[in-house]
Amino acid sequence: MMSTGNDIVALKAINIARTKEYNFYKKIISPFEKELYDMQLSGKMSFENFVWLLWSVKESAYKYLQRITPALIFSPTKIIVNQLEMPIYEEVPKFVDQIEGCGFDNEKVYKGVVAFDDQTIYSRSIIGEGFIFSVVNQVDNFEGTFWGIQMISSSEPSCQSEKVRAFLSARLSVLFPSNNLQICKNQGCPILFNDSDEFPVPISLAHHEQYVAYSLCLNAK
Amino acid sequence: MTREEILNELKTVIAPYTMNKEMLNSINDQTDLIKDLKINSANLVDIIIDAEAKYHIEIDYDSADKMINVGSCLDVITEKINQK
Repeated sequence: MMSTGNDIVALKAINIARTKEYNFYKKIISPFEKELYDMQLSGKMSFENFVWLLWSVKESAYKYLQRITPALIFSPTKIIVNQLEMPIYEEVPKFVDQIEGCGFDNEKVYKGVVAFDDQTIYSRSIIGEGFIFSVVNQVDNFEGTFWGIQMISSSEPSCQSEKVRAFLSARLSVLFPSNNLQICKNQGCPILFNDSDEFPVPISLAHHEQYVAYSLCLNAK
Repeated sequence: MTREEILNELKTVIAPYTMNKEMLNSINDQTDLIKDLKINSANLVDIIIDAEAKYHIEIDYDSADKMINVGSCLDVITEKINQK
């Protein structure tokens, strides 16, 4: 089944001191992941960024998996990031009020390998000046993954919902100019309809504070 | 503590994280933390930690997974208080 999943974390909203408390981070990362940080990553990125990057990867993986298994419950410590590869060039992407892309420059993103039960999922993450964005795919190839991040004027839920749909709709109108696509929801997942038929392109929406983001997968296998 | 007393305290735990403060006064067992109270999923861990501190309990992973609406939060907190 085709799927996609993405998530965004607004860095100004995270509580750095609380993130470093054992009682807090143990509910997000597993002992294995803490060891991964201590052994391989502690000199390369802050612990709070590590915790929230893993959160965004796990939330993305949950959205990906929940489309396939609607009754799935999000349990962060059961989704394990087994590998996290640092970007070769830690260049913060140029970001004024929005950025969009297709696939990723693998030298500038965090690349993860994620396990849930017997399934393996792959992730790509960007740490920008004010956000952490992640997207996942079932193969280690993101050439068909279209994504976008936008800063909006308000963090009101109705504004987030409206703006993220408008942002994705604008991209869809470029990718599929001859279709009349509508974003709907089914069992908690956003889906696309072309007139009255479901459109076979999986989409994912995310928002946190004044950031909204989307992903869609064209060559999902 | 009665369920109503726990509910009233739970409202103070949830209040800092909800974007729908008006709804807080009319919540019931079916009120969904994310869909109805507009709490960002990233704050669910904060609510669990704050509930642990407020009631001097520990909420294990499996119990935390169930805390998706007000009723399930009350069930978990009541169970953990009774286990003390």
